Formats: sequence, structure tokens, C-alpha cells
Amino acid sequence: MAYLHSAKPVPGPAASVASRYGLALLSVAVAFGIARAFLHFHLPQPFTALALSAIAITFWYGGNKPGILAALLSLIVRGYFFESDLSVASRGLYDLVFLIFALLMTGVTRARDELEVRVAERTAELTQTNLDLQLEIADRKRAELELRESEAYLAEAQKLTHTASFALDMANRVIIHWSQEHFRLFGFDPKDGFPLYEDVQRRIHPDDLESMTETYQKAIKEKTDYKLDYRIVLPDGTMKHVLTIGHPVFNMSGDLARYVGTVMDVTERKRADEEREALRQAQADLAHANRVTTMGELTASLSHEVNQPIAAAVTDANTCLRWLMRDQPDLEEASQAASRMVKDATRAAEIISGIRLLFKKGTAQRELVDVNKVIREMVVLLHGEATRSSISIRTELAEELPQITGDRVQLQQVMMNLMMNSIDAMKDVDGTRELIIKSQPGEDEQLMISVSDTGLGLPAQQADRIFSAFFTTKPHGTGMGLRISRSIVESHGGRLWAADKSSRGATFHLTLPTKADAQK
Amino acid sequence: MAIQGNTKMVSIVDDDDLMRSALQGLLKAVGLQALAFASAEEFLTSGQQHATACLIADIRMPGISGLELQAKLNAEHCRIPTIFITAHGDAKMRMQALRAGAVEFLAKPFDDVALIESVRAALES
Repeated sequence: MAYLHSAKPVPGPAASVASRYGLALLSVAVAFGIARAFLHFHLPQPFTALALSAIAITFWYGGNKPGILAALLSLIVRGYFFESDLSVASRGLYDLVFLIFALLMTGVTRARDELEVRVAERTAELTQTNLDLQLEIADRKRAELELRESEAYLAEAQKLTHTASFALDMANRVIIHWSQEHFRLFGFDPKDGFPLYEDVQRRIHPDDLESMTETYQKAIKEKTDYKLDYRIVLPDGTMKHVLTIGHPVFNMSGDLARYVGTVMDVTERKRADEEREALRQAQADLAHANRVTTMGELTASLSHEVNQPIAAAVTDANTCLRWLMRDQPDLEEASQAASRMVKDATRAAEIISGIRLLFKKGTAQRELVDVNKVIREMVVLLHGEATRSSISIRTELAEELPQITGDRVQLQQVMMNLMMNSIDAMKDVDGTRELIIKSQPGEDEQLMISVSDTGLGLPAQQADRIFSAFFTTKPHGTGMGLRISRSIVESHGGRLWAADKSSRGATFHLTLPTKADAQK
Repeated sequence: MAIQGNTKMVSIVDDDDLMRSALQGLLKAVGLQALAFASAEEFLTSGQQHATACLIADIRMPGISGLELQAKLNAEHCRIPTIFITAHGDAKMRMQALRAGAVEFLAKPFDDVALIESVRAALES
């Protein structure tokens, strides 16, 4: 129990020097006090044992140097106060015991210190390992979460775009991946697992199966990408147009290992394409109707235009005969007349073919068109109509204008409509009657055509309405000319508009792109 | 043309280039030389109207028409025997032309013999 006195708060390695040496003094003093108390009550003299305890405690808690100090103090205290009657040899023996004990304690504390260091090291290692593990677990959890999120995004994207993904193992000819969207697209339940090849085949439209299989087998044989455009029919009868794209994946030895790819539901796109095509056809039909109507109005002047070169041809033929029928035939003059006949007949044929082209019905054709040529052709065709109303036509066409991509007949029709409007607007006006057509390069790779007249001008406050369907100021007009013209120009990627009111007459401008692919 | 000052000169006014050449060619074949003008305005400003003994004109032309040209010449007391050739002449137009002093009114395509006879008659009058 007496030891408890020494059991003071444990001074750690960081304890101050004073307290550690103080421990040496205190522990020896307590040992001394207890021994004196024993002596007082005539009990066996226990100082040696108490001193050894004090030394041990000091070594353990105070360190080596305070321990040695405690040993020396114990020697001194013992020499002075206890058993002073002992022989020098006995005393030396006791001293030796104290010293050996001190030495032993030095070893013990060293062993303890080393053990403590090792324990601390192990603890640090374990703590670090634990920390690493926790970090790794967090990383995995995060990665797992990200993967799940990414998968969810992908599934959502597939759903939104109606695009499914797949992977096929080509060695075993089995499906190894079919996305949720693929199941949905083909009407299979993911719970039943990947469907068999035969079951998938049964969903394909019978009319498309053969050509599709052929393309697919050819791609496998040649180990190339493939693109399949086919229809599928679901058990409920729904038909879908799908587009499959497959890409080969090779193993290390260069053999075809897999095909990965996508299947896209293009039903909506197909429907939109068909509708657009129907709309295009309707527009072409309407444009044709408008051309035929306009040409009908032109019958009289067109026949005049054809008659003109024919009359010239007849005259030149008569002249030619006169030179030949002379007593001395003049072949030089006769051949000149014959050459003029060739020109006359060619002009007549050109006019007729121009007229025939405008009567022709068909869908829009895209070709390279020389706008100046279109203008000149229409000037020839409408020359008679203009002349009937004493209107002169003047053209100011820019040289070396770039060609455009478009439908020649439809562009001719636009020119015809605009020129006819101008001619109609000038029929009843006094003064100069002039139709001016200009072509010039515009901004942003566009070219601009202007049609101006010196006629009545546009109806006031109705500049916008003139492009509406069924709007007309003419007694027999259909009100479709400008509407159709604008839709033709717009389908070529251009614009058609009426210019701000000038002092007299009206001016229409139209722009057409020279480079852009006009097809929308 | 080397026939300026010749009182027996023929002038052609027609906006159609092919028809102008054809008429000139025909007259040349019968030994007559003619001046050709693409419009009535061109003819009037050329000053040749006073030297012209016979005028062959189209009726429907941009700007001044054939009939207007005849009226203008009459107003200037320059009455030239005129032969009209037109693609779409009606009876009314024909009457109007003849009353204003036209010597002939032919429809295209026209009879070349009739035209030449009319021209010769006009030149000899």
C-alpha cells in the first residue's frame, strides 16, 4: 500500500526536467520516511526494499538520469541513517546491489522505450492503412454513384433520341448487350433476358428481311461497318422504321470479335420526309397551274412571237428562190438568204421550246442556272405582250454573274409573274412605259434581280398584302402569282419583296444565294 | 448606204431584227436598196424621212407605234406612201391606216409579190 504514495500523476516523456529529478528526490524521501516510521515502531528495517522501489519508480517514470540520481541518493541516505554499524564490505555489497539494480533498470527502461516506439510505429501504420481503406471505400462509392448516374443519363438520352445500343459476340453469335431502349424499341421484356436471334428476326418486316440479311451477312464476311435501313413490326401491329449502324471490333489476333452499334427509330423522320415531299409536290403542282394560267393569258402574244420569225423565214425563203431562179443564179446571195432562214427557224424553235418547258409538269429539278439567261429567255417570250401595250423592255445585266443552283422553269416563272405584273400595271398609264430588269451581284454571296416599271404602282397601305394568296387588283387575276413567286424564291433560299414606293411605278427585288445549297 | 439623196429610197421600220434583215434581203433581190430602222424614234431622228419615197413599217412596236408614226409624218406634212406589215391586224386598224394614207396593209407572213408591187407602185407615183 505504501507504494501508492509514489503513484503520482505519471510524468510523460514531455514532463519537465525539474519534475523528473523532483521525482527522484521525492521517491527516496518517501522511502526514507516510511523506513523511519518502521524503525519508530521497531518493525524490521525495510529501507533497502523501499529504496529499490523508489529507484525503480524513478527509472520507470522519470527516466535514466533521475533514476541514477535516486540510486545515489538512496546510497547516501542508507549510509547515513540506516545500519551505519555495518562493515565496509557489507556496505560495499549493498552499494553494489543498488548499482546493479540501477543498471538493470536502465536496460528495462530502454527495452520499454523501444517497445513504445515500435508500438507507436505500428499504430501509425495501422491508422494510415485504415485511412487509406476509408478513402478507397469513399472513392468506390463515388465511382459507383457516378457510374449509376451516367447510366441513367445514357438511358434517358437513348429514350429521348429513340436510339438503342447493342453489342454482339460474333464467336458465339449471341447478344451480349441490349440497352433498355433496344428492348422497348423491339417490344421485348428485359425480364426475359436477351431474345434469341430468331425472335428478333420475326419482328422484321418480311419485305425488308431478305435485303437486310444480305447486307448484314456481307458486312460480317468483309468485316466492315454496316448500315441497315428497315422496318420492324411489333406484335400489336405497330410499324417502325429503324436505322441500324454496326461497327466491327477485333480481338488481339485480328479476328472479328464483336459488333457494337446503334439502332435508331426514324419513323418520325420518315413521316416528316414524306410530308415534306408531298408539300413539295403540291407546291410544284400549284406553280404549274399558275404557269399554265399565265401562259393562257399570253396565248395571243405568244403566237405573235412565234409568227414573227416564221414570217421572216417565209420572206427569206422567197428571196432565196428569187436569187436561184434568175437566169444567172446568184449563189452567194441565195446562201445568205438561206443562212437568215436558219436563224429565223432557230428563233422560232427556241421560243416554242421555251413555251413547252413552261407548260411541262414535274417536280422541282436542281441544276446550275444562269440567271441572266433566264431573264433573256423571258424577255424574248414576253416581248410580244409588252409590245402590244407599247411597252419597251430594258435590261441591265451584270457581266459574269455567278450561277446559282435551282429550278430553271420555276425561276423563269418568277420572272414571268413579275414581268406580267409590270406589263399589266402599265397598260393604262400615259407617258413612258418602260420595264427595266437588272441583275447584279449582292452581299453575302447573293445575287439580286430587280424588276421595275413605270405603271400604276402598288396599292397604298397594301404593300404586305400583295404577297397573300388570292390578293389581286386585276379583273381576271387569280391572286396567286406573287404568292407562288415568293414561295419559289424562298425554296431557293432567297427573298422576294416590294421596294419602298418610288415616285412612279413599282419595283420588286429578289435575292438568290449563289453558293449555299438551296435545298432545305 | 450609198444612196443618200436618192429620192427613190425605201425605209424599213421594224423592231424585229430578223424581219428587218428579211425585208432588206428581199428588196435587194429585186434591185432595190433600203435603209432599216429598229424603231419609229430612230427613223424620225435620222432625218431620212424627207428622202424616203416608200416606207415599210410594222404597226406594233415598243414606244411609237406604226400608226402613230404615220400620224406624226402627216402632221409634219411629210406624207410618205406607207406599206404596213403586221402580225395581228384587224379590219378597224386596216381602215384607220388606209384612211391616213397607207398604200397597203399586209398580214404576216405576207405575199412577197404583193409587197414588191406595192413598193414599185409607191416609188413610181
